[in-house]
This record gives sequence, structure tokens and C-alpha cells, in this order.
Amino acid sequence: MTRILLKYKKTVIRDIIMEKKLLTIGRKSDNDIFIDNQAVSGHHAVIKIEGDGLFIEDSNSLNGTYLEGDGLFIEDLNSLNGTYLNGQKVSKGQLYHGDVILIGVYTLEIISDKIREKDKKSFTIRGRSMEETFVIAPYDKKKMLISTDKNIQDPLGGFIVIEGSTDSKEYQFKDRVSAIGKEKGSAIKLKGLFAPKVAALVNRRKEGYFITPSSNKKLKINGKEIDHRYDLKDGDIVEVAKLKLQFYVKE
Amino acid sequence: MRMYKLNLTAAGKTDQGFARSNNEDNYYVDVKSGLLIVADGMGGHAAGEIASKLAINVIRDYFQGENKFIRNYDQPYAPATNKLNSALCLANLAVFEAAQSSPQLKGMGTTIAAALIIGNKLSIAHIGDSRVYLIRSDNIEQLTDDHSIVNEQVKRDIITKEEAAKSNIKNLLTKALGIAPEVKADLNELTLFDGDILLLCSDGLNTMLTDESILKIISFAKRTSDACEFLINAANEKGGKDNITVIVGYIKKKNWYSAFNKFTESLWG
Repeated sequence: MTRILLKYKKTVIRDIIMEKKLLTIGRKSDNDIFIDNQAVSGHHAVIKIEGDGLFIEDSNSLNGTYLEGDGLFIEDLNSLNGTYLNGQKVSKGQLYHGDVILIGVYTLEIISDKIREKDKKSFTIRGRSMEETFVIAPYDKKKMLISTDKNIQDPLGGFIVIEGSTDSKEYQFKDRVSAIGKEKGSAIKLKGLFAPKVAALVNRRKEGYFITPSSNKKLKINGKEIDHRYDLKDGDIVEVAKLKLQFYVKE
Repeated sequence: MRMYKLNLTAAGKTDQGFARSNNEDNYYVDVKSGLLIVADGMGGHAAGEIASKLAINVIRDYFQGENKFIRNYDQPYAPATNKLNSALCLANLAVFEAAQSSPQLKGMGTTIAAALIIGNKLSIAHIGDSRVYLIRSDNIEQLTDDHSIVNEQVKRDIITKEEAAKSNIKNLLTKALGIAPEVKADLNELTLFDGDILLLCSDGLNTMLTDESILKIISFAKRTSDACEFLINAANEKGGKDNITVIVGYIKKKNWYSAFNKFTESLWG
């Protein structure tokens, strides 16, 4: 006989005897195990008997049940709706005597005659709703980011003034968004009565720099007129408001 | 560079949205000290609300008090930015300790997006996926990088931006305030212009609306309070799947009638 104890902290709230082949768990009242808690989804998970084994399975696409530990029986059912084992998606796990499932602040404890083999460590199954935002442990994070953990550095570049009257001959562009114009605070400040307030915007992103002409302002890159966003490359010649500039990126 | 006075007018608004049974977001607007904060709490029961409120209160109190530097001074950044970082460190500690004190609150945390405007200098500090945007000359640019798994995947070219927008793990954060005794906020600085518009928002806005539609709505609005209302309405029309919080700030040149403008805006508020 299999029993499931629903506990809050150390208090047993319900003692459920597994009489059916399937028990549903969730926040909605039509579940066999009904847990009134925000962190639990309407239909969160099911515990079921298959063959002579007892399993827990995720119920819907917004649900996530987190499984931790090794030596665990997992079956991947190719679903978008995930159950995660150490940050990787699984959708099913086999349950043994003494296992604990954590859902919100409640726990479900399994009492069964199925004893896990000695060499397999006992594991914990954690339940958390995917609808809620939550933080994952750095260990899981590393696993989810398969690629090497190289440090991505922001590119650093700027402009060298080839022609035109400016305060300096070279400008480094450090801000995420900076401007070329007459407006106070512009990275390259234009002079003259008729100089535009903002001639062009320069954006600095992880993937590189790009330049966008201000509405109705003329901007030439390598001699060609540009009327929308342009991704800057090392060595590009930019002509804007009587200035001729060369873009550079430091390695 | 010489400090150049710019005027800030700002308004904020939060809405529960249609799908959630409570609102875990909080915000704070203090035009006088130039402080704008959005926080999106997480945790069961009411813990998320408590976390976001507590974090905001600690940051607010820090700037109303002596505001001493704590932790290491981050040299490349200005004192204002370092102060913002200190405030976030304190808030992190406060939320973390509160979470340890009660099993009901255990595991609670919050995102934070904070902007400090002093003169024509903007300092930003953020943790999590709440965002700061700059709107300048009809262009919108996100100034913060989300601390989320999908954003890390985009940065590493594992998935595209389009795939990220559809991902079912959008809500997985790599960092949050209050879940560990130490956290490192991302800092950034920018020179502000006359006519710039700042937007701070929780993910309830940017998961419902594209950057382009946000830009359109903000450009259409004539007042900060209208902009907030229009943004929230638009996000709710798209489904309002999460709590939505926005702060819109106008940066304007200081002149003799700016005090008058501020006064009339407060009347219409």
C-alpha cells in the first residue's frame, strides 16, 4: 500500500491512501490533492501507478516541477512543458519510499513498500510553478548555458575627426546611447548657428556600435547616404553635418 | 564636463493585470532627488509584495539619510552611481535577512531597476529583468541587460531575440535582489539631453508590448501620467498576463517657466 502525507512544515495536514491509479495535485478544488497556495498551479502534477512503479508527472505547460539528485528514473516525453532535473527538462520521475516532493511551502512525503536501491541516493523533487518568476541556482544556470562561459566584453570604439571643426581630434564613445549634435551633452559637439541639435545617434551594444541619423538629417557612410540604422564597422567613414569622421573599434 | 541643469518630471503607475490575483510590483518616484525605482517581487503568498516594497523603502531611506558608501567604491563610476549601488546592496541585505526570519517569506526576492538623475547625468543600477529605456530623437534603446536565462542565451548566440521572446523560460532569472547575502548590480551611466524620455518598467510591460509600440505610445502621450496610463492599457489589451508597472520621466531644459509647467502638471496629475 502506498500512502502520501501532505505536510505543512512538520505538521501532517492530510494522510492520503493511494487507492486509485492516479492522483492529481493542484490549486484547483477538483484535484485529489488540493493545495490552496499561490505557488501551485491549477493542475500542477500527477502521481500515478504504472506497472508496479509509482511516478510523478508534470501536468501542464505552465508547470514546472524541479527534480534534483541523481540515480533517478526519468523519462523525457518530448514536451514543451517542463519538469527540470538539475536545470534540464525531464517530464517524469519514479518515486520511492521516503521521497519528498516540495510544492510551494507544502511537502508530499511518499510512504511505500518500494525501497530505493541502497546505492542510489534519495532525491528530492521540488515543485514550483513556472508562472511565477524565480531565480535559479548558479549551478543550474551553468548547465542551461551550454556554451563555454567566456567573458563577453563590450566593444569599445569611437571616432577620429578627419575634416571639420571640433574640440578634439578623437572621441571615445562609452555611453549606451550618445549623440553627434549641437545639443548640450553630445559626445561630439557641433558648432555653428545652423548646426542640428541632434544630427545622429550612436548606440553601443554588446554586439557592436550602430548609428542612426536623426529625422531629416543627412548622413553618409563611405560616401553612401543612409536613412536608417547602420551597423558600424572598423574604418567606416561617416559624413554628418560638415564633419568627416572615421569610426574605429579597439580590439 | 560642466554640470548642466535639466528638469525632471515623472509619473508612475502600477496595475495588477488580468491574470494575477495580486500585485507584487512596487514603484517609487521622487522628482526632487531624481530617484526612480521599479521592483517586481517574487515568492509565494504575499512574500513578493513584501520583498519589492521593502527593497524600495530601503533605497528611498538611503537617499533621504546620510547615504554613506558601503562596499567597495567602483572606481570608473561617478559618486552618484556608487551611491545607488550602495543603496541596492543595503536593500539586498534587508530583503535577505527578512526572508531568513520567517518560513513564510523564505525564498522571496525582487528585481530592481533604479535610475538617479542629477543635473544632466543619469545613473542606473539594476538586478533582474525590470528595465530602463531611453527615448531620444524618436529612437528607443534599452539601457539595461536582463539578468535572465534567455538573455544570456541570446548573448551567447544560442538562440535569437525572436526565439527569446517566445521562450517558455522567459521568467527564469539569473540574478535577483534578496535571495543571497551578496549580489552585484549592473551599473551604467549616461549623459542626458533636453527632450530625453526615460521609461522604467517591470516585465509585465515589455513581454506584452514590442519596443516599437512602446515608443509609439510614449511619443503620442503629452504628459507623463498619460503615457503611464496608455502603456498599462495597451499591455492589458494584449492580455495583461503579469503585473504591469511603469515610470515615465521627461527630461527638459530648465527655464523660467519650468516651475510653472510642473505646477500645472501636478494640477492635472
